[in-house]
Amino acid sequence: MQPDYRGDNDHHDGTSDATPGGYPDRRRPGELGFALFLTAASAYLLYSAYGISGFRALSAPGSVPMATTFVMLVTAAIVAIRTARLPRVTHETLARDILPGMVIFFVGLLIAFGLLLRPLGFVTTAALFLIVAIKVLTRRGWGYSLTIALGSLVVIWLIFRVVFTVLLPAGILPEAEFIQFFRNLFSGGA
Amino acid sequence: METLLAILVIFTQPQLLLLVGIGTFAGIYIGAIPGLSVTMAVSILISFTFSWDVFPAISLMVGIYMGGVYGGSRTAILLNIPGAPSAIATALDGYPMAKRGEAGQAIGVTTVMSFFGGLVGIAVLALAAPFVAGFALTFQPRDYMLLAVLGILLVGSLSSGSLVKGIFAGALGLAIGAVGRDPLTFTPRFTFDFRIMEGGISFIAVMIGMFGVSEALIQLQNVDKKAMRQKITKIVPSFGTVRKYLPLSLQTSAIGVIIGALPGTGGDIAALMAYDHAKRVTKNPEIPFGEGAMEGLVAPETANNAAVGGAFIPMMTLGIPGDAVTAIMIGALFIHGLNPGPMLMIDQPDMFWFIVGALMTANVFMLIFGLTGIRIFTKIVEMPRTIIIPMILLLSIVGAYAVNNAITDVYWMLGFGVFGYFMRHYGYPLGPVILGVILSRLLDENWRRAIISSREDMGRLVEGILGSPLSLCLMLAVVLIFVSQTPVWRAAKARLFGKARP
Repeated sequence: MQPDYRGDNDHHDGTSDATPGGYPDRRRPGELGFALFLTAASAYLLYSAYGISGFRALSAPGSVPMATTFVMLVTAAIVAIRTARLPRVTHETLARDILPGMVIFFVGLLIAFGLLLRPLGFVTTAALFLIVAIKVLTRRGWGYSLTIALGSLVVIWLIFRVVFTVLLPAGILPEAEFIQFFRNLFSGGA
Repeated sequence: METLLAILVIFTQPQLLLLVGIGTFAGIYIGAIPGLSVTMAVSILISFTFSWDVFPAISLMVGIYMGGVYGGSRTAILLNIPGAPSAIATALDGYPMAKRGEAGQAIGVTTVMSFFGGLVGIAVLALAAPFVAGFALTFQPRDYMLLAVLGILLVGSLSSGSLVKGIFAGALGLAIGAVGRDPLTFTPRFTFDFRIMEGGISFIAVMIGMFGVSEALIQLQNVDKKAMRQKITKIVPSFGTVRKYLPLSLQTSAIGVIIGALPGTGGDIAALMAYDHAKRVTKNPEIPFGEGAMEGLVAPETANNAAVGGAFIPMMTLGIPGDAVTAIMIGALFIHGLNPGPMLMIDQPDMFWFIVGALMTANVFMLIFGLTGIRIFTKIVEMPRTIIIPMILLLSIVGAYAVNNAITDVYWMLGFGVFGYFMRHYGYPLGPVILGVILSRLLDENWRRAIISSREDMGRLVEGILGSPLSLCLMLAVVLIFVSQTPVWRAAKARLFGKARP
């Protein structure tokens, strides 16, 4: 525990886990909402933990979950009360500092990645993801984005799929035939 | 003499030496990539090596293990993403150093200290294996429970800022760890009638989401910031630096060996406990903990590599795995017709000493490979964020999927990534969440075993604790650490010594 906590601008986003974000004496946009959400979620989890085995016995399967969710509820409530009492940060807005468009866009992109991973397969989805992400972030030409995206994808695919034989979803790409073709190529078609 | 020959056999056969080298090199890079675990690599190797002779097979596995434990620190320092759970504590001070342009120095110190920790672990394995194994076996469920409580109390160390938020995060981690079917009675817990949740939540998915995805999302807000140029002039730490941290590294190596030797624990818990220990014993660090304190690198890195030797102790002497990797290695030894346990030391002592020799060799290779190629590796940090962020996100997705080949893990990872993003912005530490998930099962199972063996009587349980010297020591440690984190204690300490310790 660090009593002389630094809540300065350098660390307001929690870039290092050991120097968390936020301000010790002020409330950031959305902070109270988040604290209230955690309190409500903890209360629901405590109710759910009680439903596991109630107060049947100290060794019951619900005993530790009940204890932990009770601690969650108490601490979340304390945080919510403390947060509510703090004055707001005046120079920050939710849209600019907490949830900027770029972050929302990338969260959407990641959700799309998750949804398309099975039907399209890893290689296709990852290629689309990398091309779009690099194009949006670098704001450079298609040639640059395609080269960087596909080059790095080949390296990642070789490491995971070929070296470590991780079974990534094949989807629409005939991956097995592709790998076999290369194997035949290197074994001289034997 | 025979012992020495068995240890040196690895140096007489270039093939074995080469395999340890390859294993260590591969291990460093496997350990550095989140989602590629040493456990996974060693289990894949079993299928590759089951037709091999036992010595080459073990050489490769030992190399991967030793390199992998160290490798996790690389991405922890450079990207704030621990490549392995045992590197979580390393990120706390390693990443702030990289942000200051001192990644080379951080990796250098980490490498030398990992080597030192590994050396201590191997020395204890060689000299005191039966004694340490016997000591580890005296642990009762109540002692494991107290050890887990001791671990949970580390939230104080891992929570800069608000302790209440740290406690919440730790409790959240324990709750996440409880999701799924209860291992003792098979009762569903927090599954909300979803079949998919009965298997629990992958710890790796939580870790990658909380550290990897949330870090990438945070970085999106600094995308135009110029990358910090890294100073790669002082890679190898001076003798003075090593000597300065020697007492601390000896203490944390001891923590690593003991925790590593306890079945069911491992380098991750050892590293976190060592970090906490460093914070307690370091009166005046040059740089505060959490902002790039050298002690914050030395402690976890010596401990997690010392835990490697520690994990081999119960495996070699009792046939009980110290962690997931040694569990797989036991399988490998069985496949090769060996029977790890007390009889192995009697029937085939050469095998035991060969493993000691292989570990020593892997440790030396780790030092060599660790101190070379840093320049290339640190270039990662100097890459434009516009390229590195999509890479981190893609690696996070692949890593989460690779653990169980399950798309559900990817969704969990995304969920925890977004949640972790908000936690960071609002000052909730992430370390305690991971700590809670790691310790959840240890605490839950051993609390229930302890209370069942006390016939559901708390009085009897307390009596048992007070009646056992080991339990009593652990209990006193729990009380002491708990009291030391209270504001009353800190205020009293500040009055006594003039100022609070950073």
